[in-house]
Amino acid sequence: MRTRKLAGVMRGICAIMACLYVLATVGTTIANGYRNAIDDFLGTESFVTLTDENTKRFKSDYSTIQEMAEAAKNIAIREGEEGTVIMKNDNAALPLAQDGEVALFGLAAYAPYPYTSGDLKAGNDDAVDLVAALEEAGVAVNQTIKSLYMEKILNKHIEQLPNAWTGELVDTVAYDNIYVTSPGDFVDYTIVEVAPDRFEELGAPADWKESIKAGTTGIVVFARGAGEGNTYRPGSALDSQGNPTGKDPLALSDEELAVVDLARETCDKVVVLINSGNTMVIGDIAKGGEHEVDAIAYIGVLNDYQATGIVNVLSGKANATGALPDTYVVDNASIPAVVNFGGDYYADYEVVSSSGTDPRYPGVEIGNGMASSFGGADTYNGGSYIVEAEGIYVGYKYFETRYFDSIVNPDSAAASAKGATQGDSWDYNKEVLYTFGHGLSYLPYTQTVKSVNVDLSENGETTAVVEITNLSDQDGYFLAQLYVQQPYTAYDRENKVEKSAVTFLNSKKANVAAGQSAEVTISVPSKYLASYDYTNAKTYILDDGDYYFTAAAGAHEAVNNFLAAQGKTVADGMDAEAVGTAVTWNLASLDNTTFATANGVKVTNVAEDADLNYWTGTDTVTYLSRSDWDATWPINYNEVEIYVANSPRADEWIAELRGQTYTIQNNAPATEGEYKGLRFDKDTLTQAQLDNVNDPVWDELVSEITIDEAVGAVIHGGSRTDVLTNVDNPVVLQNEGVSGFTTGYNDPETGRTYKFNIHSQTLIASSFNPDLAYDWGRVEGNSGLWIQRYHLWGTGLTQRRTPYNGRNYEYISEDPMLTNRIGYGILQGCADMGILNGPKHMGFNDQEHNRGGISAYMNEQKFRETDLRGFQGGMSDADGRAVMIAFNRIGATNAAHHVGMLSKILRDEWGFTGLISTDMMNNKYYFNAESMVMSGITQVADFASGDNHINQGDGGVDKTWGYISPASVANDAALVEHARENLKYQLYAFANSAVMDVTTQRVAVWWDTALTTTTTVSLVLGCIAGLAWICLTLVGGKKKEGK
Amino acid sequence: MKEKKMSAGVWVAVCTAILAVISLIVYSMNVSSAGYFQNASVNNLVLYGILAVAALVVAIVLSRVKVSGAAGKVVSLVTGCLQIAAPALLALCLINLVSGRVEGLGFIYFSNADVALEVQTAENMSSATTAITSMVCFGVSMLAGIVAAFFNLNKAEAK
Repeated sequence: MRTRKLAGVMRGICAIMACLYVLATVGTTIANGYRNAIDDFLGTESFVTLTDENTKRFKSDYSTIQEMAEAAKNIAIREGEEGTVIMKNDNAALPLAQDGEVALFGLAAYAPYPYTSGDLKAGNDDAVDLVAALEEAGVAVNQTIKSLYMEKILNKHIEQLPNAWTGELVDTVAYDNIYVTSPGDFVDYTIVEVAPDRFEELGAPADWKESIKAGTTGIVVFARGAGEGNTYRPGSALDSQGNPTGKDPLALSDEELAVVDLARETCDKVVVLINSGNTMVIGDIAKGGEHEVDAIAYIGVLNDYQATGIVNVLSGKANATGALPDTYVVDNASIPAVVNFGGDYYADYEVVSSSGTDPRYPGVEIGNGMASSFGGADTYNGGSYIVEAEGIYVGYKYFETRYFDSIVNPDSAAASAKGATQGDSWDYNKEVLYTFGHGLSYLPYTQTVKSVNVDLSENGETTAVVEITNLSDQDGYFLAQLYVQQPYTAYDRENKVEKSAVTFLNSKKANVAAGQSAEVTISVPSKYLASYDYTNAKTYILDDGDYYFTAAAGAHEAVNNFLAAQGKTVADGMDAEAVGTAVTWNLASLDNTTFATANGVKVTNVAEDADLNYWTGTDTVTYLSRSDWDATWPINYNEVEIYVANSPRADEWIAELRGQTYTIQNNAPATEGEYKGLRFDKDTLTQAQLDNVNDPVWDELVSEITIDEAVGAVIHGGSRTDVLTNVDNPVVLQNEGVSGFTTGYNDPETGRTYKFNIHSQTLIASSFNPDLAYDWGRVEGNSGLWIQRYHLWGTGLTQRRTPYNGRNYEYISEDPMLTNRIGYGILQGCADMGILNGPKHMGFNDQEHNRGGISAYMNEQKFRETDLRGFQGGMSDADGRAVMIAFNRIGATNAAHHVGMLSKILRDEWGFTGLISTDMMNNKYYFNAESMVMSGITQVADFASGDNHINQGDGGVDKTWGYISPASVANDAALVEHARENLKYQLYAFANSAVMDVTTQRVAVWWDTALTTTTTVSLVLGCIAGLAWICLTLVGGKKKEGK
Repeated sequence: MKEKKMSAGVWVAVCTAILAVISLIVYSMNVSSAGYFQNASVNNLVLYGILAVAALVVAIVLSRVKVSGAAGKVVSLVTGCLQIAAPALLALCLINLVSGRVEGLGFIYFSNADVALEVQTAENMSSATTAITSMVCFGVSMLAGIVAAFFNLNKAEAK
């Protein structure tokens, strides 16, 4: 009996060990696949980075971490100082009176957005908020109002909220009353502000108003939230109690206006600060508004130290040199892009669904729903579309051009009621509050273009010499902005080439002594003077005629300068006389050749299928044209019934919406890779080879990569680039985010953690200073060297198409060229420090709503001259070597599948030699592996690691795309060679970065040891227990028989 | 041959088999219901689960059959092997389910606040909860299978 029981015990132990063995063995595989995430979670480091200090190419500018931190802090302060924009300044409200007091009103005054640390805010110990910055600057802050807000209204406290995963209670910063930080995905937005009639209810003393002294300036701060996956819905505002108001969520609410009125009632002067990356609707407080205030300033989205710089401007310590990166309008409905904002379903979107007939997924039913803002369920995500019918007329380019035409081209119907929100006919001054580039300087100055030189060689530059004259009696710092007007000709009208009446080119800042003048030289590649003709020449053209150049404090001032240069005056309808002059450069005849080639390749149409008309076969879409503002004003294409099945190209359209941009071929055997003696190291690769991606060594190097790893490394790029067996490259970790590396530096000597994600995209934008952008890029790069991280997604360059995109705070501007020049600066700064900084999200990620699959339709002029132009400066002109592609579609094609954008434009025309990543790959039906390989993607962001293979699924197939395996791609030589070509660029980017200075060594961390031990011990004990059980069973039987 | 009496081990094995079936049903609900994991089947999980149930059923059936001598020893060893295999297969179900769900659960629960707000829809949270419930069920089944492995499925004959 004892033997029988013992046998049972041994069998049980064997079962335990068998389970442990299974769990440990498979668990080890899983852990390897998510090593990055586990390391981050547990604080372990599976890879040790080794740097040869003697041979490294990239060295930090700073010898100590304290110097590094100080440099970062100084940049952030400069961003606040140079980015603060004085939009309105009457009654000498600003700078603040030196002996006066300020009273701060509004929730955001005491908790500016974003008020918690995270991706957007570093959260260093010495961070400075607005109140602290004012007090540190010696500005007297009304303590009664401060106490009222901080203790009674906001009441910042720590709440213990349950962790969504573990249920464990964790400390979370909370307020009794705070604005909503995340507007959500196209839903109602609650504008939380505490109206004064609730102050006493919340504990304000009855006589609190008496604490406000005569001469006090009231500063009111309003914020709007933002965030990934968030999109404001026009007209969706709710008040603090959740009641619909019918107003725009970006407009000031009645409760906010009540706070303004309170400030007007109790203070001598009132200044409103706009704390948002989304342009707000502020007509109520602007000149002539019912709640007009003395001054308005834009302060963007703050990080740890920007408040100090902002206060330097408010207090007058620094001259105001910021300018608006976006146009502020009276009503967002006046913006042509808003007419179609959001998008809608195709009328027959379900026709794209598969009932099991998709050859890649036989027998699998796949739907075709809306995409949602993060990727949605497992469907093709091709149900919705948007028509970007506004063409190039985004932001000021629409308003200023229509204004220009209202004076110069009245036949264009510029005064039509279409697009007018403030009356029966369109009137610029009724629609626009503050234009792009607007920003008041405390110190009076003039800016004048003295000369312009246009070099029309392929890589030629247009150079303007601008004289800045300081008219004040103080030394000062000033902003000069260069604008151009290209001719709008009969050829353009005939061939649908659109021209903005004013185009920002570049800007520069300079110190100028009191009463003196100084010249600055502003340059920009001449290719940006060209326009894209997608109907006739099908390439870039330069029209014949006069090109006007001017320096001006904003787009409107520039247009007036152009009008004056063309003989117009107020008598002709100008709203003001010109304050500056324009310099003319003439082109005698149409030039359709100079920019018809780029980087040695022909420039021609590559995105005709981005046009909805291509698919419908009719003129379904009419694009906005200055030839007739009335007839071409966009209709709401969301209300048009678009039937995919009715298209003459229905099959092609459906295939594209299903992600079948490329189909794996079976007609040409691919060559298997094998080691040929080349390695990714300094001994193998010479400097000459590092300088030339066309050197044969790169093709030889990637020819070593096996078929399995070549395709696998691309389609499982992950959040960490893995080692390729025969190449032996270091692993490279990817890092967030747009404010800088989110990873901190732990100083072993002091124990202090330094965070370097202290940047503000919004304020670098409004600084209008590409040189500052370069300085930030260099500091960002330096921080990467200190924390030993070399690849980050460290800026956003998507065009702000409308005010409603929840990620406008990550982007720069409505203007492609401001974005282009700021992007140039940031990326070049990082590149000079050897850091791969990839901007997000190239290819029209201009709304988060349904971004995971929405089709954005447009014509090719818009395609090339808006969003892509914003990226071109960093990718083509600077040495940017990384980029992240948008989530959405361009036309019906997933942006990550788009051969035209990625291969033809980015690689061929722009000569980009860096790595190209997708956004978050979380839907195998929307993201198609083979199509991404063929478009030029070098790494698909699937967030796993240790998985650069296509045989890790059951049965030796790919773990995500089960129809892919080494065998299934072995006879598609083109696909495999494309994968190798893509990896060539990836390795070339690594080689030209600080990655080349390091080797990474895999080390066993404690959980590796635990898993290995568990595997071994369970196997051994299991075997012993199993043998014991067998023996006991047999022996037990014999004894029984013996009895 | 004649049937043996039902032992406690048989009852535990029966409970394990029932738990395994419940686990498979919960997993199937996870795959078929609307939400993040809809249609996200895990390769071979159902196969492993069915094999585990089958192993237990066969073991129970064998334990009910009285054989003696060499055949009895073989039956005992086969029954024991099946008792060991069943929890191991359930462990395989559990770990494969974890493998197939970990990225999605991470996305749902650990995305940054902005994305989390968007991704934590009622359907997705329900899907995540069902996935976790399924994991728990497989885990409990595995533990029950381990317990069952300690028991002899046939009652000892009275001496």
